[in-house]
Amino acid sequence: MSIADASNSKPPLSVRLRGQLGGYGFLLPWLLGFVVLTLGPAVSSFYLSLTDFGLMGSAKWIGAENYVRIASDDPRFWTAMKVTFTFVLLSVPLKLVFALAIAVALNKGLRGLTIFRAIFYLPSLIGGSVAIAVLWRQVFSGDGVLNQVLSALFGYEGPSWISNPSTSLYTLVLLAAWQFGSSMIIFLAGLRQIPTDMYEAASIDGASRRRQFIKITLPLLTPVIFFNAVILTIDAFKAFTSAFVVSDGSGGPIDSTLFYTLYLYQEAFTNFRFGYASALAWVLVVIIAFFTALSFMSAKYWVHYDD
Amino acid sequence: MTDTAHLPSAVEADSTPDGDKHSPMKRALIYALLTAVSFIMLYPLLWMVSSSFKPENEIFATTSLIPQEFTLDAYRRGWNGLSVSFGHMFLNSLLISVLVVVGNLISCSMAAYAFTRLQFKGRGFWFALMLGTLMMPQHAVLIPQYLMFLKFGWVNTIMPLVVPKFFAIDAFFIFLMVQFFRGIPRELDEAAIMDGAGPLRIFLKVILPLSTPVMATAAVFSFIWTWDDFFAPLIYLNDIEKYTAQLGLRTFVDATAQSDWGALLAMSTLTVLPIFILFLLFQRLLIEGIATTGMKR
Amino acid sequence: MTTVALKQIQKRYGAVEVIRGVDLQISSGELVVFVGPSGCGKSTLLRMIAGLEPISGGELAIGGARMNEKAASERGIAMVFQSYALYPHMSVYKNMSFGLETLRMPKPEIDKRVRKAAEVLQITQLLERKPKQLSGGQRQRVAIGRAIVRDPKIFLFDEPLSNLDAELRVQTRVEIAKLHADIGATMIYVTHDQVEAMTLADRIVVLRAGKIEQHGTPLEIYNKPVNRFVAGFIGSPKMNFLDVSVIERRDDGVVISLAGAKVVVPLVDRTGAGATLNLGVRPEHIKVNGAGSVHLGVLTITHIEHLGGQTIVYGRLADKQTLIVAMEGQTLLGTGETLNVSIAPEHCHLFDAEGRRLAD
Repeated sequence: MSIADASNSKPPLSVRLRGQLGGYGFLLPWLLGFVVLTLGPAVSSFYLSLTDFGLMGSAKWIGAENYVRIASDDPRFWTAMKVTFTFVLLSVPLKLVFALAIAVALNKGLRGLTIFRAIFYLPSLIGGSVAIAVLWRQVFSGDGVLNQVLSALFGYEGPSWISNPSTSLYTLVLLAAWQFGSSMIIFLAGLRQIPTDMYEAASIDGASRRRQFIKITLPLLTPVIFFNAVILTIDAFKAFTSAFVVSDGSGGPIDSTLFYTLYLYQEAFTNFRFGYASALAWVLVVIIAFFTALSFMSAKYWVHYDD
Repeated sequence: MTDTAHLPSAVEADSTPDGDKHSPMKRALIYALLTAVSFIMLYPLLWMVSSSFKPENEIFATTSLIPQEFTLDAYRRGWNGLSVSFGHMFLNSLLISVLVVVGNLISCSMAAYAFTRLQFKGRGFWFALMLGTLMMPQHAVLIPQYLMFLKFGWVNTIMPLVVPKFFAIDAFFIFLMVQFFRGIPRELDEAAIMDGAGPLRIFLKVILPLSTPVMATAAVFSFIWTWDDFFAPLIYLNDIEKYTAQLGLRTFVDATAQSDWGALLAMSTLTVLPIFILFLLFQRLLIEGIATTGMKR
Repeated sequence: MTTVALKQIQKRYGAVEVIRGVDLQISSGELVVFVGPSGCGKSTLLRMIAGLEPISGGELAIGGARMNEKAASERGIAMVFQSYALYPHMSVYKNMSFGLETLRMPKPEIDKRVRKAAEVLQITQLLERKPKQLSGGQRQRVAIGRAIVRDPKIFLFDEPLSNLDAELRVQTRVEIAKLHADIGATMIYVTHDQVEAMTLADRIVVLRAGKIEQHGTPLEIYNKPVNRFVAGFIGSPKMNFLDVSVIERRDDGVVISLAGAKVVVPLVDRTGAGATLNLGVRPEHIKVNGAGSVHLGVLTITHIEHLGGQTIVYGRLADKQTLIVAMEGQTLLGTGETLNVSIAPEHCHLFDAEGRRLAD
């Protein structure tokens, strides 16, 4: 508009500066942290992944050699991949199914909901601690609780589930599944969001409860299922403590619990191969990013959004 | 994602409308099932606690949860089972956890305030980057961070565990607070502006006093996660005098070589105890926090 | 007490212009009401005066001094918000003293002012309560109290009564009018309710789509609305608009055809034969059974609303145009019956095809 003269359209510099300073003043700690502790290290970690670099001496540029070695000449990498993928593919669906089933059961208007909810949530709050890993190690050891129970109930003398390479990973899957509580709480919150009148309308239409669950509850819950699946998958790829404690940091027996992060840790902080470990870290980042992107792309085929 | 302000109704109500339609039989069945699952889930924990009060020879003799002979012996053996007492390591853990809580609360609330309430160029851009860091695995920055702290001479001190928290490195908490701050009516800020208050005074006198629920949630989660953290202390703390309770427990596993399960389970129980107490005190806050953000460890 | 001057004030959000060049002089001690439908920009305009929204163009002067760049707190203004915006965590006393503490006023002076304002508003016994322990009306008083203590030169009200129930709204309206009479400060008041505007204002400013349609005293606006929009917005029930066409121009006015009949309406504006016009008549001005000299025709009643003191009659003229009549008192008439309706010449409003008022 011609009426507005140019000097009017903006407040003077001092006023604008004051506003900017306020904003950046409060953001400063995060901004510094982001640049120094995240952005900088991310860039330099990528650089390191292209070098040969240990605790001594300086980084030596070797181009893509680390990545080539990972792909073609590192059997432990492939073991770690296999272990990690097995863990992810088993623990995530198990957790989702448990969490959803219990949430649906709890959403039936039972008395004592808060108590059950607390009981089911507790394991996921403490499950990541060393104490629980220690406990798990005991429960599934040769003379552990599980075998005591099996022997008392069925007279079956079980093996040491932890030190048997063909079962050790599954004890960790079970430990993960045991911690379905926080997903359950998110499901519960999601179930509460489904308007009651939808069920009432469906009842009047003569839909059975099973049909209501399949045709109303599940579709309306898909955004929550999706969210939980993505978060659980990312978390599962990053699992570390339980495997470390149960296997004494070795990933054993015979690398059967060599989680990717555990292998990464060993390369970086036991063998001090910082360059190679950086490359391993970036491979993990790419894998996680790939699966996250894949889930988001798949979402439009099965996730139901209102708007 | 749900608005924090409406949360209590979303998670607290003890009954849902489709409740009455079940037959008493079906109801009883659901109860029985839930009780059974609860028992199986809690059994290992209960066993851990009860075994810690049993004499060593009783632990493996019975699966009963009630000690026939109640003794604190295992606690005595465990407490001084390493060259440094567990008490010392608990204090280390406490110091680190408290500092982390303070750091997170200050730095994350400042960032969340800037993102939700202040106008400045590039706000949207930085906010998007912040959300991006939520998704990013820490492994990508781990090694350079380690090398940097090594250069600072911070390895084998608590600095690498604590200092980053004063720079809002835990984007999760920023996100949690952003969600909450968005629920505080903007007219309150405007009333304060009319009252002559600047951004700092509005932050301190209006926003923060109204945010005690989210600050408490952030504090409790911060504390629990730091208390439980194993990876960072494992990397950065070398001397046993510096160890956290988690590191101590893990060292204890090696030291006892599983010969003294009683002591090990006693110390395990002790390391979980603070979390359990916080859980009992702040259960509602924790559950609401999870339900709002849908995020967890 | 001070003046407010708006010169070609504009507000743009990117390419969207929400305030499109507003000029207005508000004199010292005046109570001006901004009224208009939602989305007309009245709240935005108020917030620009308050300093909560930057001004994109034009100049705002308060007491003769340019204010565009001044922070809200430096403009000598207090504002009462629609939601009251009381600080929930502070007591009533703290709510009122917060602004004074920000100014670093000495404690005894703060105390004196808060107690005096509380007395004026009769909320002394509530000073230690928290806002959530108060009723809607009490919150409203605290919000006003918070404005008063700062002794501002200008009060701004942003739809302050919209959260109150009908009875309290009337009561508070009277109190605001009294407050204005007592302290004599300049006040700017935003509402979408034309009754509030009519009853409170020294001067009404009618806004539409970011522009002033008309400003003047309530009666000026009521008696001489400058266009169809203002005519329809002010007054309740709404003004009737009838389609008419000009048959003949005479010295004392125009002859128009209405529902087949010829009607003479006084008009000085130049409008030739054949023009299509709108005849505006207020329901309360329509006379039944031939008391007015401009005959509107025969109305067939389709619906009746009995308000007790007043009766609203809905009906159709011979050519099916609808007409609403507000009759004093009560009636025994029923649906289907007919009325002869007419109106005094001075109560006829004629608008041209673009909706502009034709001078009479």
